[in-house]
Amino acid sequence: MVTGNFKIAMDSIKHAKWRSFFTMLGIIIGVASVVTIISIGEGVKKQVSEEIDRRGPDLITVRPGKVAETDENGRINSASIFSSLVNAPLSENDLKVVSGTSDVDYAVPVSYLSGVPKVEKTEMPRAVVFGTSGDLPKALNQKIEYGAFFDKGANKNVAVIGPRVAEELFKETVPVGASMQLRGQSFVVVGIFEEFNDISLSPEADYNTAIFIPTEAAKKLNNNQLPIQQILLRPDELSQRDEVAKNVESRLLNSHAGQHDFSVLTQDNNRSISNEILNILTSLVTAVAAVSLIVGGIGIMNVMIVSVTERTHEIGIRKAVGATNRQILAQFVIESAVISFVGGIFGIIVSLVANFVLRVSTNLVPVITLPIMGIALVVALLVGVVFGVAPALKAAQKDPIEALRRV
Amino acid sequence: MPVILLEDVNKLYGFGDATTIALDEVELSIERGEFVAIMGPSGSGKSTLLNVIGLLDRPTHGKYMLDGRHVARLRQQSRARVRRDKVGFIFQSFNLLPRMTVIENVALPLAYKGMLQTKRLKKAAAMLERVGLSEKEYFYPSQLSGGQAQRVAIARALINDPQIIIADEPTGSLDSASSRLVMELLSDIHKAGNTVLMVTHNPSLTKYASRVVFMHDGSIVADEQTKLGEIPDTLKRSMYFAPRKTVDDDLKGVSSLMNTMPDEKPAAKKVSVKKATPKKRTYKARTKKAKAKK
Ligand SMILES: Nc1ncnc2c1ncn2[C@@H]1O[C@H](COP(=O)(O)OP(=O)(O)OP(=O)(O)O)[C@@H](O)[C@H]1O
Ligand SMILES: [Mg+2]
Repeated sequence: MVTGNFKIAMDSIKHAKWRSFFTMLGIIIGVASVVTIISIGEGVKKQVSEEIDRRGPDLITVRPGKVAETDENGRINSASIFSSLVNAPLSENDLKVVSGTSDVDYAVPVSYLSGVPKVEKTEMPRAVVFGTSGDLPKALNQKIEYGAFFDKGANKNVAVIGPRVAEELFKETVPVGASMQLRGQSFVVVGIFEEFNDISLSPEADYNTAIFIPTEAAKKLNNNQLPIQQILLRPDELSQRDEVAKNVESRLLNSHAGQHDFSVLTQDNNRSISNEILNILTSLVTAVAAVSLIVGGIGIMNVMIVSVTERTHEIGIRKAVGATNRQILAQFVIESAVISFVGGIFGIIVSLVANFVLRVSTNLVPVITLPIMGIALVVALLVGVVFGVAPALKAAQKDPIEALRRV
Repeated sequence: MPVILLEDVNKLYGFGDATTIALDEVELSIERGEFVAIMGPSGSGKSTLLNVIGLLDRPTHGKYMLDGRHVARLRQQSRARVRRDKVGFIFQSFNLLPRMTVIENVALPLAYKGMLQTKRLKKAAAMLERVGLSEKEYFYPSQLSGGQAQRVAIARALINDPQIIIADEPTGSLDSASSRLVMELLSDIHKAGNTVLMVTHNPSLTKYASRVVFMHDGSIVADEQTKLGEIPDTLKRSMYFAPRKTVDDDLKGVSSLMNTMPDEKPAAKKVSVKKATPKKRTYKARTKKAKAKK
């Protein structure tokens, strides 16, 4: 019986192709947008994860503010996107405390400075300026394409830039030796980073548009102060990572007089935090997109109600030859479920196209997995069933003679 | 034991002043194997009676036993099952599903029984062969002539091997040649031992019946056994439906009579009887008598 109903449903879809298409449109849009959003979220998660892997598993990050709540086993319970913005930055003293911890190979500060770089008349407002030390390329695991990074103790006005800065500000790929203006001071470019494959959604902003200058020079630009947004450090050995992180944490806690207004994060922590944040974001956007699925369901319901009225005579014939109310109900519920399910399939096709377009035209790499597609189809099916029940009940309850009389 | 037993069956439509008595204390008993033709003027309740017997409609009061089972008060689910297993319907307007092929239409009642598709189609093909339409299996109803469509409907009505076959004016929208084919098919079915109930406005078709029932204003006013191939006496003596028939109906009746039986003189005679005797009075007297008897 079910296969028969399935065939009836497919026939009536084929019979009225355009109407079926418009009926499905809501579901198509709903499924396509939900699947696309989730796949973007998954893609970003994957990219962040790869980025973390590229930096190496032994990297430890210290940030201002309590970024995440952890349980006693160090697992992340909840994450806050805004804590590092609200809290006071780390200080030079913190950097000393961190570097002085035993088994720390090196510690690199990253300070964010405001200012728009300028070359003659060209400005680049979207460039970001960081003060940092000579170990940064090691900490980021990133190669210099041209020139070299400045030395550890450098205090001259030199700069290493990301490839976008070279292109946009200097209009050439290798502006080594060229100079630019920053807050009224002149800086000489000594190196250009290789392209960062990081995505701009990562918490560190896009390093491709960054200008790195030595901490000493940064201090001079910033009234002799150095607010530090991030300290990157590595232990001597990977095996010492957890212990070093713990030691850094307790020493910082000591020097902050017991105030836990900073976070010491291993790469695993970073991964969970970014996943947590992305999950929150994608579920919010998905919830909004899911509304279109409900709208799609209502659309199906409307069309099914019209269809039931149009097919009253058919219902009368079916009842006359012995269809029970339940069988009529099943027929129409299955029809609406099939419409919705086929809409779901089209929606997935649309999202695959969107996926391709996004991969080609942006630096996003959305990931559509089989489970996502499966869940989307099941949801589409459920929407069809739920919104098909009311019209199907209407059909099932028709009086056979009244129905037969209607032509 | 009769296959159909109606006792004191009433069917009312509407309320208060607008009440229509479509069936008025109908008593009817039909044995297995009978071919009952039901005649009577328009609005006399023939279709209503068939709908009640076919369990498409429910009597307002009264008792109805079908095949030894009380069915007047069944719930909808059970009524559908009885319709499916015991009743085959043939309608004036064929009532085939337009988006299904001929063979699927014939197999439809089996689908509601839960029979597997392959088995269903096999049975339907055999039934189509029986009505002589094997070569039209994969046609759509719109590609058939009226007569062919009606034979498909007959095949559908027979597919579940029903206890009773109900035909409401089965030749009402057919030309005489198709009418004849359809009637011969029904007659064959009857001769094979099936019980057939048929409403018709065409007196000549009663020759296929073993019994003719006349209705007027919701009551059965005459009920006569006939020999197959003969037109009943009652019909010869007076035309119950004559007073209500319009000129158009007459013309249609005449032409179909002429065409069906072009060589038979009595048919022509009957036409003249019909034209000559609008015996409304006689017939009213009879009804009164019939009621008084009760
Ligand atoms: N759904 C309904 N609502 C109200 N009255 C109805 C309804 N169905 C039938 N009737 C009335 O019941 C009476 C019998 O109708 P029925 O259809 O049984 O007549 P019939 O003998 O089949 O007539 P015809 O030869 O024209 O088909 C008529 O007076 C009709 O108006
Ligand atoms: Mg009728």
